[in-house]
Amino acid sequence: MVSTILFSAFAVLAVAGAAGLVLLRHPMNGAMSFIMTLIALAGLFALLSAKLIFAIQLIVYAGAIMSLILFIIMFLNIGEKDLPDESNRWFYFGGGAVVIAPLAIFLLKVVNKLPSCEATIVGDSFGSVKGVGMVLFTEWLLPFEIVSILLLVALVGAVVLAGKREGKL
Amino acid sequence: MSAKVKTIERKGRTFLEHLYLVEVFKGMAVTFGHFFRNLMDNRRLYVRHYPEVKPEIPARWRGRHRLTTHEDGTVKCVACFMCQTNCPSNCIMIEAGERTDGRSEKLPVRFDIDLLECIYCGYCVEACPMDAIRMDTGIFSVTSYDRESMMIGLEDLLTTPAGCSEEEYQKGGC
Amino acid sequence: MSALDILLVILRIAFGAFVPLSFVAVLVWMERRGAGYFQDRSGPNRCNVLGFRAGGLIQNIADAVKLIFKEDIVPGHIKHKLYFILAPTLVFITAILSFAMVPFADTLVLNGKEYIMQAIPADLGILWFLAVVGFGVYGIILAGWSSHNKYGVLGGLRAAAQVISYEIPMGLALVSLLTIYSTVNLSEMARFQGQLLFGFIPMWGVFLQPLGVIIFIVAAFAETNRTPFDLAEGESEIVAGFHVEYSSMKFALFFMGEYVAMFVSSALIVTLYFGSYQIPWFSTETLVNHSKPVVFLLMLAMPVAAYFFNIWMKKNNRSQYERPNDPRVFEAQVYAAVIWSIVIFIEIIFLGFLIFSSGAGGARILVALLQIACFLFKTFLMCFVYIWVRWTLPRFRYDQLQRLGWQRLLPLALLNIFITSAVVVSLA
Repeated sequence: MVSTILFSAFAVLAVAGAAGLVLLRHPMNGAMSFIMTLIALAGLFALLSAKLIFAIQLIVYAGAIMSLILFIIMFLNIGEKDLPDESNRWFYFGGGAVVIAPLAIFLLKVVNKLPSCEATIVGDSFGSVKGVGMVLFTEWLLPFEIVSILLLVALVGAVVLAGKREGKL
Repeated sequence: MSAKVKTIERKGRTFLEHLYLVEVFKGMAVTFGHFFRNLMDNRRLYVRHYPEVKPEIPARWRGRHRLTTHEDGTVKCVACFMCQTNCPSNCIMIEAGERTDGRSEKLPVRFDIDLLECIYCGYCVEACPMDAIRMDTGIFSVTSYDRESMMIGLEDLLTTPAGCSEEEYQKGGC
Repeated sequence: MSALDILLVILRIAFGAFVPLSFVAVLVWMERRGAGYFQDRSGPNRCNVLGFRAGGLIQNIADAVKLIFKEDIVPGHIKHKLYFILAPTLVFITAILSFAMVPFADTLVLNGKEYIMQAIPADLGILWFLAVVGFGVYGIILAGWSSHNKYGVLGGLRAAAQVISYEIPMGLALVSLLTIYSTVNLSEMARFQGQLLFGFIPMWGVFLQPLGVIIFIVAAFAETNRTPFDLAEGESEIVAGFHVEYSSMKFALFFMGEYVAMFVSSALIVTLYFGSYQIPWFSTETLVNHSKPVVFLLMLAMPVAAYFFNIWMKKNNRSQYERPNDPRVFEAQVYAAVIWSIVIFIEIIFLGFLIFSSGAGGARILVALLQIACFLFKTFLMCFVYIWVRWTLPRFRYDQLQRLGWQRLLPLALLNIFITSAVVVSLA
């Protein structure tokens, strides 16, 4: 019962935050509503007793990445006049809604067809740091390493790009 | 045109100093020494417990003003306006009246000093030809709850006693 | 749930919420009197209630009254009022919440049931701290940005850049610690530190990770925006940084948030590196099994400590100038009476314990209380180190700060991870 209420609350918050990100004009409002979405998603992970993912969602996405984005918004110090002219954006929103509506109805039908399943708390080790670590480093070692190489490449690329500009100036 | 070049040896370039931590701990030891000494015995604090223990005011110290009198009690001021003219902050307001005790022709009937304006520079004392205004009262805390009482008049100035003896004032005074 | 369960839940949450808050008062007092003593002056000691000064603690009440009754201003030029009001609450709430996972005593076993002594009994441990502290940055960023003030924006930028960059060495120092403890759960870390290294050194993080301690403490100082890293509010350059536009209780929330953050990071340093609640050389089981001798020793030690404390207090708690019928001597006598009556009260309780106690329940509660006292004492000392450093070191320049973070601490932390994992693998 409690978990259902929490789930609906988090789901509503997540959707509301996502809608706010698209609809609100000022970048700071958009970023803050996106943070709301990320926190609500973290709450959903916690409801699924995925503790590690919950913590990582909070640390990495809601904590680190979004604070960098806020930092940049603050750094640029965007005023009202710097924002692009979006006078006919409601037209685009309406058009987008019309295009997406059939897809959404289809998805809703699919989800409704799913057999109902009671959410229960699985054993203590599921989703914990140890449990995830064991699975990650035994069954999924190769994908994990490939992803980490990808991140390393991105890191090196960032350093190279930043260094190049400094050399020219 | 040969400029004298003096090479100054740069300090703080050794490895230990570069580590920074050793120096941090040295500094912390110094401050902790002070802390511990004062914690063990707070009589050693370098403080004066102010409202109860007053500071010693030397004779040269420029405190609140006063007007001096002759031995017979008549005011020394002759209302020459030297102090008012000299005052850089325009805080002195004198109104002269006729003098009847035969010492001179004028005496002040009003002598107001706005202490909120006064900057305690002592120019009025320097300017006075009669040694009538002095700043030797030793009053250093001029405070009040309203603006009106910061305007002191002739009566206050005359009745304020000197903060030091005449000899001391002559010896160290301005 | 039995009544005992509910009582313990309430007690733990109350501990998690109110101990940081009451430490704010203690820390403000310590900061001011400590600053005074470090600089050979006396600090605020005049405020009193009926002549009782409590060593200057009454000043805190005066401050609180002042802050509560000040006018709460939201300046007219502020456009985003929601963020302006949200910012101080975020700073304060995240500071308090980050204490929730810190254990303050060993798991209490009563009637065969285990109670984990932390405010939220989950095993996220250090991850929770990292997650919640990350949100504290938002408070600072939002405060600086929504103030619409150049000093505010500069302070917010500095604070955000500093916290984000020092989170990396901090996290890396933690990684090497985690390889040693092989858990993220703070309770298990604390239990690990109850062991002995080579049979005589307590197995504290500080002995296993001497380099990690330094990195972590430096990063923690930077995270809490304390001197020498308090550029965010460098008053000589940017007035007060991100909280220039705040007044009254909104300012007080920033202020309290800063001190709560200081308390929490000291508690965390103690938990990670200084043995948490563990009393050195006395594990929980030893204490429980030998509860009666321990109580007897405490009964002997308490009057001795109270005696010396009273001598010190009588020497220092009197007016340092000529004063007839010095009221502070009377004040010290009253304090001495209070202290002795508390000592006698505790002695009676201990005596009752010695005579009537049977079974492990009482002994376990006693040991838990002892460990809480030990934990708070260690945290208090760590907070003192914060204050000590603040009144010793000058502020860094901003480029020095970033260079220290990225060019010194980051490679050192990586090196530390490398060495630690090499040692751990070779020993395993």
